[in-house]
Amino acid sequence: MKVGLFIPCYINSVFPQVGVASYKLLKSLGVEVDYPLNQTCCGQPMANAGFEHESVELAKHFDELFKDYDYIVGPSASCVAFVRDHYGKLLAGETHRCASEGRIYDICEFIHDQIRPTELKASFPHKVSIQNSCHGVRLLHLSSPSEMNIPYYNKLRDLLSLVKDIEIVEPERPDECCGFGGMFAVEEHEVSGRMGRDKVQRHIDTGAEYIVGADSSCLMHQNGIISRDHLPIKTIHIVEILAAGL
Amino acid sequence: MSSREDILQNIRRNTQKRYEKPDLSSLVQKAVKYEDKIGQFCSVMERVGGKAVLLHEGEDVNEVIRKLYPEARRIASSVRVLKRGNESQQLNCYTFHPDEVAASAELDGTDLGIVSGKVGVCENGAVWLEQEMEERGIYFIAEALIILLDKTCLVNNMHEAYPLIDTGEYGFGVFVSGPSKTADIEQALVMGAHGPREVTVILY
Amino acid sequence: MSTKHSKAAGRFLQHKELAAWHDETLWMVRAKRDKISKELPEWEDLRNMAEAIKMYSNSHLDTLLQEFEKNAQANGAHVYWAKDADEYCSIVHHILESHHVKHFIKSKSMLAEECGLNEYLEDKGIEVVESDLGERILQLMHKRPSHIVLPAIHIRKEEIGELFVKEMGTEPGNNDQTYLTHAARKNLRHKFIEAEAAMTGANFAVASTGECVVCTNEGNADMGTSQPKLQITAFGMEKIVPDREALGVFTRLLARSGTGQPITTYTSHYRKPRKGGELHIIIVDNGRSQILADKEHVKTLNCLRCGACMNTCPVYRRSGGYSYTYFIPGPIGINLGMLKAPLHYYDNVSACSLCHSCQNVCPAKVDLADQIYCWRQQLQRLGVASTPKHVMSEGMKFLMERPGLFDWALKNASLVNKIPHWMIYNGLNDWGKEHDMPVFAKESFNELWKKNKVK
Repeated sequence: MKVGLFIPCYINSVFPQVGVASYKLLKSLGVEVDYPLNQTCCGQPMANAGFEHESVELAKHFDELFKDYDYIVGPSASCVAFVRDHYGKLLAGETHRCASEGRIYDICEFIHDQIRPTELKASFPHKVSIQNSCHGVRLLHLSSPSEMNIPYYNKLRDLLSLVKDIEIVEPERPDECCGFGGMFAVEEHEVSGRMGRDKVQRHIDTGAEYIVGADSSCLMHQNGIISRDHLPIKTIHIVEILAAGL
Repeated sequence: MSSREDILQNIRRNTQKRYEKPDLSSLVQKAVKYEDKIGQFCSVMERVGGKAVLLHEGEDVNEVIRKLYPEARRIASSVRVLKRGNESQQLNCYTFHPDEVAASAELDGTDLGIVSGKVGVCENGAVWLEQEMEERGIYFIAEALIILLDKTCLVNNMHEAYPLIDTGEYGFGVFVSGPSKTADIEQALVMGAHGPREVTVILY
Repeated sequence: MSTKHSKAAGRFLQHKELAAWHDETLWMVRAKRDKISKELPEWEDLRNMAEAIKMYSNSHLDTLLQEFEKNAQANGAHVYWAKDADEYCSIVHHILESHHVKHFIKSKSMLAEECGLNEYLEDKGIEVVESDLGERILQLMHKRPSHIVLPAIHIRKEEIGELFVKEMGTEPGNNDQTYLTHAARKNLRHKFIEAEAAMTGANFAVASTGECVVCTNEGNADMGTSQPKLQITAFGMEKIVPDREALGVFTRLLARSGTGQPITTYTSHYRKPRKGGELHIIIVDNGRSQILADKEHVKTLNCLRCGACMNTCPVYRRSGGYSYTYFIPGPIGINLGMLKAPLHYYDNVSACSLCHSCQNVCPAKVDLADQIYCWRQQLQRLGVASTPKHVMSEGMKFLMERPGLFDWALKNASLVNKIPHWMIYNGLNDWGKEHDMPVFAKESFNELWKKNKVK
């Protein structure tokens, strides 16, 4: 089983520690991981803003780069969802079939569903509040959406439960959008800012020290607000906790 | 060409894939059901702002109604006799039959309307009223409404209710679930928006 | 980088307390919907069935509408077909005029809003009275609804109290909701009785019986249609359902989704005219038959107008109905506006973070967010894409298509952190208005990997 590690552009530049933790975590679980160089961006920001055609070259590049791996695994639910849900259509005009959409996984999904560890070495003696991000919940099905009448499940909670000394909570309105949404955060910045402030406050109200999520983009947005408003909470990507002590 | 033909032609031209009519039987089978129908109906009536009371063996329906609405002066009833098995009770607590008015407007100022229901639905407190008088206005204009419903006519859910209902000779019927209500001012729930402020279902 | 929606939303959010109230109140409605939907184990099957029935009925409109017409005529109703808003308004006017109607009472109808019926009739000298309490308040205030089910959700009781002092002679300063509601009850009772004709929309039109079904909580549709003997009912043609069996599905979903009630107080079935009265039914197209041809957007015709997508939409709750330029706000309104006139209503397409919550609450499974995504892809072709947004997108494309350049940028990105504060947080930086900028790492993942520091 050969895994190609997909490191989205903003993780590469702003949160490289998330990439490092992803690599270590997969390695520690006995996975053969490689990082193909020359990765850039999956194309989601352009497409969500309405310029899908500007993502086609990026999709081709991505598809080519990862063609020899059994799995593509990345620490960003939203980017993974974009590849899975849109690449087939974006590359429909190409001569080759899209090779990525069926093999790409969010790292939590991959570990939870494919590796299925029963224990982890990590310890994290803190209270954390789960950021159930929209695309993780509603597109990748990482947890049961609050709108639907299906039994509760949460793959993030399942994985975090393997960490020692941790206390896990979820905020009120557990999967309401934090307001990031790519260029939405710029074009509708007032609404986005309000959503972000409301979200961070609900995380704070749980008494947690950390907001933990599988999407660095949502965390980046909330972190920008925490820093601007000097709020008493921090953000952390889930893999940084799962890989603690490695 | 007439608009009718135009519209139909546009529909035919623009309709893409035609989908099959789905089969509802599996849904109907797994739809919610209640062991204690009467208990469920009474509790859901309360939830929708109404009330359900059980007419016990030997109880006089007129007394029950008078006890429920002692202040009511102008009382219209489209029910004259209540039949329960072999037993039948005459209704005598009303002051007029809604068909005695010349126009619907004259029903305004009725304190209490007494009507009969055909089917009661346990999942939502809705009772089917098939128009049984010239002027259906009484259902809506009375300050309070009593619906007399045979307790063996309770069904679990809407799937079970629909096959049992019809609109009868007057071509009108309505499911009524509790009193008229609104929350249009700041989402504060207020009973008696336009229609009855109170609805009581008497299960006999 | 802004749209009419984003600017109006910004103004809405300036009234912090009101905006917070709006969000909380609508969230409460969504929470009620969640709670009641979870009481039915078959909830998701119900939604699937509703979707399947709508896919069937909307792909058989030709046969179902004709079946409806035949049955309605056999019931004694007059049936009309209106191609567009104008024809619909003129049919209504013609009916009223030929019956010498001067006082006309209406229950809530989104179709009438869509077609501008009230203005049309008032121009012709006919008094139109809205009978739904929320609609009546707005009519007296000369305002438009800000939500399709809770039309006056944005108005505070103090404003209504003041209005009623003037219009209904209530006590000044008494803003109690029960008191005000009952004052309107008394005032409108009189209007019902003096009206010569009543009009309703329809939530469903049943092909197999030729009846129209109207759902209200207030009983205003029934109060209207049980007073004057002339009844007009109009519906957009996607309201057709095949039979009463289908009603069993939709009546279970509508109120649970919209307001969290198990059913609306009144679910009225109008089949025949009243004794000595007349029933006129108008089937309206007004662009709907065009939507049938649009594969990407045909599912908007599944919409039951329950309002659930508005209540769950985090953007709608925090921007209010008036921030949208189309008369129907929220996720469904964004899509319906674009189907109506994209060049008029494209400003609403920004009002979505693509959270997809709307798709999960929709009782007939309209793919609302996916459709908004599709509309965004159309803006450039329509010539109305945001230029600064496109510049950003193209800039990103340029950089990202060049891995070498991207790598170079990664290496130097942390220099950006050293840019003076005043240069970053100026009026031009919309991100900086809400947030601090992310801090670029000293060494990117690429750097770490190449230096063999990832172990």
